[in-house]
Amino acid sequence: MFGTVYTGFGYWDVTAWIVFFAIASGLTLWLRAQGRDDYKEGTDQDEIYWSGNPVPDDGAEISVPASSAYWGFRKAMEPFYKVLTGMHTGIGTDIVGFYVLTVAFMAVFILL
Amino acid sequence: MNWNDHLPALLLAVPLFGAFMAPIVCLFGKTLRNVLLIGISFVTMLVALLLWRNVLVGGIAVYVMGGESFNLTLPSGMALPIRIIMEVDAFSAFMVVCGSIASFAGALFSTNYMEKFSGIGRFVSLYFLLTLGMLGMMITGDFFNFFIFIEIASIASFGLVAFWRDKPEAVEAGLKYALVSQVGSMIFLIAAGSLYGKYNALNMAAIGSMLQFGVMEKLALVFIVGTLAMKCGSFPMHMWLPDAYAEAPSGVSCLLVAVSQASLYGLMRVCFSLYGINLGGSFIPWMIISMGLASMFFGVTMAVVQHEIKRLIGYHSVSQVGYMLLGLGVGLLVLTDARGMAEYGFTAMKGGIFHIFNYTMYKGLLFLAAGAIYYATGKRDLNEMGGLARRMPFTTAMFVIAAAAISGLPPFNGFVSKLLIYESVFAVHPALTVVALLTSVLTLASFVKVFQTAFLGPEKSVFTGVREVPSGMLFGMGVLTLAVLGATLFPSWTLSNLVEPAAKALVDQAGYIGAVMGGGL
Amino acid sequence: MIGNAPFFVVGLLFLAGLVAIFMEKNLIKIAVAISIISSAVNLFLVALGYRAGGTIPVHYLAGEETLMVLPTPQAMTLTAIVIALATTALLLSLIMLVYRLYGTLDVDEIRRLRG
Repeated sequence: MFGTVYTGFGYWDVTAWIVFFAIASGLTLWLRAQGRDDYKEGTDQDEIYWSGNPVPDDGAEISVPASSAYWGFRKAMEPFYKVLTGMHTGIGTDIVGFYVLTVAFMAVFILL
Repeated sequence: MNWNDHLPALLLAVPLFGAFMAPIVCLFGKTLRNVLLIGISFVTMLVALLLWRNVLVGGIAVYVMGGESFNLTLPSGMALPIRIIMEVDAFSAFMVVCGSIASFAGALFSTNYMEKFSGIGRFVSLYFLLTLGMLGMMITGDFFNFFIFIEIASIASFGLVAFWRDKPEAVEAGLKYALVSQVGSMIFLIAAGSLYGKYNALNMAAIGSMLQFGVMEKLALVFIVGTLAMKCGSFPMHMWLPDAYAEAPSGVSCLLVAVSQASLYGLMRVCFSLYGINLGGSFIPWMIISMGLASMFFGVTMAVVQHEIKRLIGYHSVSQVGYMLLGLGVGLLVLTDARGMAEYGFTAMKGGIFHIFNYTMYKGLLFLAAGAIYYATGKRDLNEMGGLARRMPFTTAMFVIAAAAISGLPPFNGFVSKLLIYESVFAVHPALTVVALLTSVLTLASFVKVFQTAFLGPEKSVFTGVREVPSGMLFGMGVLTLAVLGATLFPSWTLSNLVEPAAKALVDQAGYIGAVMGGGL
Repeated sequence: MIGNAPFFVVGLLFLAGLVAIFMEKNLIKIAVAISIISSAVNLFLVALGYRAGGTIPVHYLAGEETLMVLPTPQAMTLTAIVIALATTALLLSLIMLVYRLYGTLDVDEIRRLRG
């Protein structure tokens, strides 16, 4: 049941992976638990550091919105994304157009 | 009269019964309606599992609708099969199991999700019609009947996608899906009609036994492949898919995932069992492989920059379909080459087919989790969410499992099927594996973004009233989580009992034809 | 050549419908164009079944003749017409809802879901 999966080129064993993961996480958690003696929870050692400013109560003001994630990736690939979003116009007949073009392309090339 | 023999007909009759009883049962109150919804989906799932066990033990199951005996396909010396014949081989049985589990999970989820809305009687009816269309697509052995079930599933899904008819975006999504689906079905019907016109048979096994690859068959193949690839959501024709999946209610999105897989099933059935050795060279396999690569890459690059959660998951759907097309396309490429098939083709097919199962389970779970977030917070835009893990621990845990599975992180099931695909596709050309790996990395990137913005982070004051979702929705998600964890912990069992018979049945065109043409007995 | 006339008409109708889908801006006209495409496909199916000199495919009413036209494409066409009816009804009601919610029937304007 917990067997190994042999692909033609290698293998994958769930039990071995879980054992390895357990050992590695045990080691990691032990390392993390080695702390300093002068750390006390609940004092101001525990507070969020927000560049010295007072931390707002409402989490909405310190959270990073999702649209700003990967902005560098998008900016670097801007020519690619301009073409790609240009294709996704959202017009209904464009979708039908792409479909008919694909079928026509395949029909022409299969007959050659 | 052994009821085991009648399971294919029962598989279609139970959802149909549910669909027609739904408006009547809804007159008697909410509880009875929920009992109908959950009960009929559960019975369908049971029938599907029994049918699968039957096919594993007894070989291809043939069922003649309306014949004197359930498997009399060629009565009194006729040369061609008459009547509509259902032919369930191991690949069909595998797809039916996937589809019915997805339908059951979506039904469980919808009992609580749709409670604030009216007209749920019609919702239940359409839901069962969609299940019927999907299951019919997967077990039928008749080409025109396949078209009929595609249309049943399409009409039901137009209604379900546009179900929230006060929301403009939902109606727009339903309309755009209807336009392209209708044009595609008409082109599919031309192919079906022309195949009938030449061979005077509508049964897939009968056409397969007589097929000779000429100009008309080439055009028919191109029309069929183009239409079914459009319905799966492969690259140039996928634009309807993120819109439709995002605007449908979440239980329906979970089922629509399985319906797209039914179109993928149809594509593979036509290429492997209808055309098979008469596929005429390697143009169509390479076309399927390139559509797979394009879907993978362009799907995931569009997904990384989305900020609405269900639309993002919909674009990931496009890219995951690319994996399946890639694996099955490589298998199709070496269908006639015995050495290639033994070396890497069969592994690629196993990878593609296992990926179908994994994808249905974790993608359904992702849509249901996104629906749970929408139910609890009322928001779908990731820019406005944050810190939900404190309030919704179960949803968070299940979302993590699904996100790790889709990204191909070990030990989850997504990793196993992707590993099979990577290693076998590498033997065809290394560039294919490179694109697949890149897609996997970008998938992980976008799900890290979703998980961090939706669940982690500081607590927002607008969300102080958010509570965990009701138990019906948790049970629906739990069914799919169990399936994902089952495939994770028991990969070799799943591969040898679920996937390998399916792959063997798909490659075995002679067996598929012989089951019907040999008299069925 | 003259016997193939129905198939030329099918091709013409199909092309007319397809061109109309891309050239027209009004959603109702696009729905009409889809209806034209289904008519073309149904005509194709019926024309497939014709056998020159054949009579109606009912044994008791055929009379002396033994050559009959094929009945299966007629069944296929009826089924396809009914399905196209259901789909056209649903498509038109969706267009009506879009008009009520967006205020316009122009395909180029109904694109809130994009990118």
